[in-house]
Amino acid sequence: MNIKDLGKVHVAIPKLAEDLRDGRVDRREFLRTSVLLGLAIPTAYSMASLLTGEPLMPQALAQETPRKGGTLRLGIFVMDASDPAIYDWSEKGNSARQLIEPLVQVGTDNLAQPHLAEKWQASEDVKTWTLYLRKDVKWSNGDAFNADDVIATFTRWLDSKTGSSNQGRFSGLTVKDGDTVKMAPNALEKVDANTVRFNFTNAMLSFPESLGDYPALITHRDFATKHEANLIKNPIGTGPFNLKEYVVGQRAVYTKKADYWGGEPYVDELQFIDLGADPAAELAALSSGQVDLLYKLDPNLLPGYQANPTIKIYDKDTAIVGVARMRVTEKPFDNKKVRQALQACVDHDRLLQLAYQGLGTPGQDFHVAPIHPEYTDLGPLKQDYDKAKKLLAEAGYPNGLDIEINCVDDPKWEGQIAVVLSEMMKPAGINLKVNVLPGGTYWDRWTKWPFSVTQWTTRPLGVQVLDVAYRKGAAWNENGYDNPEFEALLNQAQATIDVPKRKEIMKKIEQILQDDAISIIPFWLKIYTASSDKVQGFAYHFAREMYLHRVWLSA
Amino acid sequence: MLIFLAKRAFFMILTMLAVSLLVFLLLEVNGSAVAVKVLGPYSSDEQRHLWLEAHGYFAPWYERYFAWLGRMASGDFGDSLRFKTPVAAVLWPRLANTAILAAFVFALMVPVSVVLGVLAGMREGSATDRSISILSIITTSVPEFASATFLSFLFVLVLKWLPGTSGMNQGFDPLQLVMPVLVLVLYDFGYITRMMRASMAEVMQSPYIRTAVLKGIPYRRVIMRHALRNALIAPFTVIVLQINWLLSGVIVVEAFFGYKGFGALLLEASLNQDIYLIQACAMVSVFVAVATQTIADVGYTYLNPRIRFT
Repeated sequence: MNIKDLGKVHVAIPKLAEDLRDGRVDRREFLRTSVLLGLAIPTAYSMASLLTGEPLMPQALAQETPRKGGTLRLGIFVMDASDPAIYDWSEKGNSARQLIEPLVQVGTDNLAQPHLAEKWQASEDVKTWTLYLRKDVKWSNGDAFNADDVIATFTRWLDSKTGSSNQGRFSGLTVKDGDTVKMAPNALEKVDANTVRFNFTNAMLSFPESLGDYPALITHRDFATKHEANLIKNPIGTGPFNLKEYVVGQRAVYTKKADYWGGEPYVDELQFIDLGADPAAELAALSSGQVDLLYKLDPNLLPGYQANPTIKIYDKDTAIVGVARMRVTEKPFDNKKVRQALQACVDHDRLLQLAYQGLGTPGQDFHVAPIHPEYTDLGPLKQDYDKAKKLLAEAGYPNGLDIEINCVDDPKWEGQIAVVLSEMMKPAGINLKVNVLPGGTYWDRWTKWPFSVTQWTTRPLGVQVLDVAYRKGAAWNENGYDNPEFEALLNQAQATIDVPKRKEIMKKIEQILQDDAISIIPFWLKIYTASSDKVQGFAYHFAREMYLHRVWLSA
Repeated sequence: MLIFLAKRAFFMILTMLAVSLLVFLLLEVNGSAVAVKVLGPYSSDEQRHLWLEAHGYFAPWYERYFAWLGRMASGDFGDSLRFKTPVAAVLWPRLANTAILAAFVFALMVPVSVVLGVLAGMREGSATDRSISILSIITTSVPEFASATFLSFLFVLVLKWLPGTSGMNQGFDPLQLVMPVLVLVLYDFGYITRMMRASMAEVMQSPYIRTAVLKGIPYRRVIMRHALRNALIAPFTVIVLQINWLLSGVIVVEAFFGYKGFGALLLEASLNQDIYLIQACAMVSVFVAVATQTIADVGYTYLNPRIRFT
C-alpha cells in the first residue's frame, strides 16, 4: 500500500504519513491517529516501519512458551456488578470485563485497538463513524453477536432513565425530550447485520477511545428487556470466561471459555478475591501466596513489596491527578490575582516528594498530562514568594488571606496535597485551613466547594477531560469556568485530525488554562501493582483494566 | 429480683429507642441524599423524585420513623446498596464469623488472664507479680494495628509460617484464624489480667484469708476454695463487657487481615455509604452493647452474695 492509497481509508491519513516521514509526528502518534481513523493495526505498524526505517515491532524479549492450565487468583474488590451501564468503579468494570467486552480496547500502550468492532471509519468532519463488527463472535448462549446488540446497548445507555455515565460520554447522539434525554432518532443506523453507523451532532475525535472506557461494555440485545438487567444473574457474554460464582465482598470465580473468539485463555480458572479495604492485607496476601496478582497496591508499602525477591512489581504513568481547583465564581477566588498568588507559592517537585513520595510527574497547572498525545511541555513552574505577596497586595490583601481547602480522607495522598499546600502558602501570609471530609460528604457537594482537591481519573486523550469538565455549564465543571475563547479552541482541536495542527491548538489551550490560573495541578500519578513471579504475560493498564486471557502461570 | 430484671429490660429498650432515633435522624431525614446513594450519581432528578415517592419519603418524618422502627424490629433492614441483597442476608453470616473469632479469643484469653492475674495477685510485689504486670502493661499499650503489623512481618513475611490474610475463601481454615486471634488476645489479655490481679490482691488482704491461713489450711486450698471465688466477682463484669468489644470493636483487626466479619462489614458499609447496612450494623452494635451491660449487671448481682433481692 502506498501513501496515496491510504487516503481511501481516511482523507487525513496521507498527510499524517508525510508528517511521520518528515519527522513532524512521532511513531506513536502516527499509530494512534491512523488506527483511530480506521487503518488496520498491522497496516499501520508496517506503514510506520516503512516510513521511518525502524523495525516493525519493538524487539520482543526471548520468552518461554506459554503454559496452559492453573488457577489465577487476583486480589481485587468484588463489588455488586449487576448493571454495567451504571458502573462507577473500575473494579466493577473488571468483574464484568471477563464476561462482556467493549467495541474498542484501549491497550496498555494507550492506543485504541479494535475489539468487538474489527475496524471503523470516520467521515472527513469526524461526525459520522462507521463501525464494522466482528462476524465470528458468539454469545455464551449461542446467539451470534451483531448490530442489534450494539444498538440495544446504546439505546439503553442514552436513555436518562438508565442513569448511565455513557450518556454524557456520547452526548452527541442524544436529543432532549422535555425533562428526559434519549437517543436521537437517527443517531444509530443499522447498515447491515454487522455494520453500525453513528451520526454525531458534534465532531467526535475521541469516539474510539470513549468506546474503550470502562462502563462501555456491550451487553446482549435482550439485556434489560427479555432478561432482567442483571449481568450476575444472567451472565451472557462474548468474553473469554464464564461466570461460575459471584459473592459480593468475598469472591468471584470464572472458568475459561475454550472457544473464545480471541483464542483459548491460558488459565483454566480465574478467582477474584476481595481482600477488604486495608492495603496491608494486599501485601500480606501476595507475600503468603494467597493471591497471585493484585489489582493495585498502596505506594506507601512499596518497600515491603520490593524487599521480596519473588514479587514482580509493575508500574504505569497515568493522567490521574488530584486537582486543587478554585471555583472562580466564589470570593476570593473570583480575583485572578489571588489565584495566581496561590499558584506562585507552589513548588511542584517538592509537593510530589512530600505527598506521593516522588512517584509521578510534576504538573504545570493545566489539565493535560504528559501521557496525552497532544501534550506540550510549557516548562516547569517556579515557587516565587515575592511574586505571591505582590499579587496578594494588588488584589487587596496586603496583610494576608484566610482561606479553607476541602479534600477527602481517602486516598491519603489527596489530603497530603492539601496539607503540603497549606505549609507552602504560609510564608506568603496565606493561612490555608485544611478540611478533611469523608468521601460521601465531599462528593455530595464536590462541584460546589470554593477551593478543594478533586481526583480526576485518567483518559487516553487530553481533550476528553477538557470536554467534560471545563465547558461552561457542564455538569462536572467544578471550577465554574467560563471562557469562550477556550471553548472555541477546544471545538477546533476536537475537529482537527492533523496532528501537528492539533498539537498547536492544544498548546494554546494549555497556555490559556495556565494563565487563567483556575487550578493547581500538583502532579500526575504513577500507579503500581504486583504479582508473584509465577505470573507471566501480564501488562499493567493505565486505567487498571485487567485483560487476563493472555496471562499464564509458569510451573 | 423480677422487678430488677424488668427495670433493666426497660432501660435497655429505652436506650435502644433513643439510639434508633439518632440513627434515623442522621441518615434518613434528608431523603434526597438517600435517593442519590441508592440511584447513583448519574441519576436524573425525575428518577430521584419517583423513587422518593415510591418509598414514602414525602410523608412527615415521625410517620416515617415509626414505619422504619417497625421494619427494623421485625428484622427487615432493607436492601444493601453495595451487596444488592437484603441486609439480613449479609449481616447474620458476618456476625456469625465475628462470633467464631470472638469465641476463639475468649477461649484462649479468659483462662490465660485469670491464671496470670491470680498468680500475680497472690503475692503482691513478688517477682512473678512484677513480670506479669510489666508484660500485661506493655501488650495492652501496643495498639492492634501496630502488633498486627509487627506479628505479620514476623510470622508471614519473614518466617512464612502463617497465611497473611484470613478471608477463608476456600472454606474454613483454622490456620487463618491464628493471626487475628493472637493479635486480639495480646491486646486484651493484659487488661483482664490487671483487673484479676487487683481483685485478687484485695481479697488476699481480707481478714478471712488471714484466718484461713492461720487456721493451717494448705495455701493451695486457701487460694482455690476461699480467695478465687470472691476475687472473680469484679473481673466477671469486665470479662462480659469484652464481648461487646469483640463484636463491634475489632474493625481494625478484621480489616487488617481481610477477615469477613462484622467489623469489616461496618467499615465497608461506611466506605460505600451503604445507608441501610450502616443502620442495621449500628442497631446490632447497640443491642450487643446494651445486652452485655445487662448481663454483666445481672450476673454481678447473682455472683455477689452481698447483693440480694428478696
